[in-house]
Amino acid sequence: MKKSILVSLLLAAAFVFAARAQAQVLVIANPGVKASDVSKDDLREVFTGNATTLKDGSRVVPILLKAGTTHEEFLQAYIGKSDTAYRAGWRSLVFSGQASMPKSLETDAAVVDFVAHNNGAIGYIGKASPHEGVKVLAVK
Amino acid sequence: MKQFLMGVVMLALTVIPARAQSMEDLNIQIHGYATQGFLYTNQNNLFTTNSSDGSPAWSEAVVNVTAQPDSKLRVGVQARYFLLGNIGNAITLDWANADYKFNDKLGVRFGKVKMPSNLFNEVQDIDPSYMWALLPQSVYTLTNRNSALSQYGGLVYGTLKLGNNLGKVEYRGWGGEQVLGGDDGYWIGLREAGMNLPNGLSGSNIGATLHWKMPFKGLMIGGTDTRKPAWSSQLTFAPAPGVLLTGSMDVKSFNQWATFAVYEKNKIMLAGEYNKLAPGITLSFPHLPIPFPVDKRQWYGMASYKVTQKLSAGIYDSQQINHALPLGPARFSKDWVISGRYDFNQFLYAKAEQHFIDGTDNYFDENLNPNGIQPTTKLTVLKIGVSF
Repeated sequence: MKKSILVSLLLAAAFVFAARAQAQVLVIANPGVKASDVSKDDLREVFTGNATTLKDGSRVVPILLKAGTTHEEFLQAYIGKSDTAYRAGWRSLVFSGQASMPKSLETDAAVVDFVAHNNGAIGYIGKASPHEGVKVLAVK
Repeated sequence: MKQFLMGVVMLALTVIPARAQSMEDLNIQIHGYATQGFLYTNQNNLFTTNSSDGSPAWSEAVVNVTAQPDSKLRVGVQARYFLLGNIGNAITLDWANADYKFNDKLGVRFGKVKMPSNLFNEVQDIDPSYMWALLPQSVYTLTNRNSALSQYGGLVYGTLKLGNNLGKVEYRGWGGEQVLGGDDGYWIGLREAGMNLPNGLSGSNIGATLHWKMPFKGLMIGGTDTRKPAWSSQLTFAPAPGVLLTGSMDVKSFNQWATFAVYEKNKIMLAGEYNKLAPGITLSFPHLPIPFPVDKRQWYGMASYKVTQKLSAGIYDSQQINHALPLGPARFSKDWVISGRYDFNQFLYAKAEQHFIDGTDNYFDENLNPNGIQPTTKLTVLKIGVSF
């Protein structure tokens, strides 16, 4: 009995933490991107350099935050890697001639500005950040 | 072909800037990394270093420049400085290529391109990208590495979704000319026996690699096969002072294949690979045929765990056996390894690794072990790296 209560509590805690992590980040895209939602798998493929299109055929280019809580939460919720592991993955692509490093910007405002003005750009910002001029993609 | 391909790449490098409206349009990036290693062995000198005294003679530095004027086209070039004991100490062209990606299903790359054979060949020289100080030496031998990395030619690549929850397949196919330089680590044994390949050894090769990312999340299985038609090159032999024989090294056409699997979930990574290498090599001099027997099976299994955001730890067992050699320590090499990596920040990291090596089919040259090679060796590797 005790064991099953403990397992239930742990599962509930894991669910709450996962939901919290996802809730703190908004995924945004240039208004020219057709899609209004994106799957977690597609998001991971795009942000790890394994894909350049979403399921609906929209061609996208990932934009990163350089560091910070929102960046860490995004990686934890959608990529499943620490920052060091994530950047190591990109370095293997860059130094083997397979890709260019995605643009990394300092602030949420800079990400919003860049995404708003560049076709196909897709990025992430904190939930509370202003985001005029971009569309918010629901993550399914 | 080599000159033609490099000419086309250089043309692209000059035409693209001319067409761009601004430097910002070119999305020019410069990246690099540098590493410094330290090797210490309890006995036997390895990798052409004086490792039994402790050797820092393992340095690398890489810098690349890429331009990506639009999301489909990318042009770049990468140079490398490499020093390992008596090997290298020179700057070489790592890759220089133009890449056009039509969509996720089809892309093409040509110029000097990396060969994506095996599980790690494409990234085996990119130290910042993995946790190990040394990749499993049975398959990714450090002294033989540089000539195995790239070729002059082309590559097609893409990802195909299989549908109906069957996962997806990443494919790569390549063809071109591979060049094994005369001063490459491949030929340490030959050089110490008084033989040289003044023009190196080169020839055409084609290959393909498939990675099946299975519906069972985190699991990838794959295979690679490379076909090398017959290669031949001039070989010289100085058996005594003032005597120089000229002959040839001939390699019969052969296939080199490997199969591998990787499982990654959360903080855990498991991987394994099995490789077969059996080229028919003949060293021919008038009235002096010299056998060069190679019939190798090479494999490893590895596991790593992300202990914290900054600390990773892992183990692997790497083994190889050369069936063409007589029984004894020179016929095999077995290497048990424990390893750790610490990332101080996004740019700076350190690695520490302990190897327990049994057998002498890898790592060792005769000149630096004049009293003979002992059958077992303990190797400690420390490494620090910085990348930007």
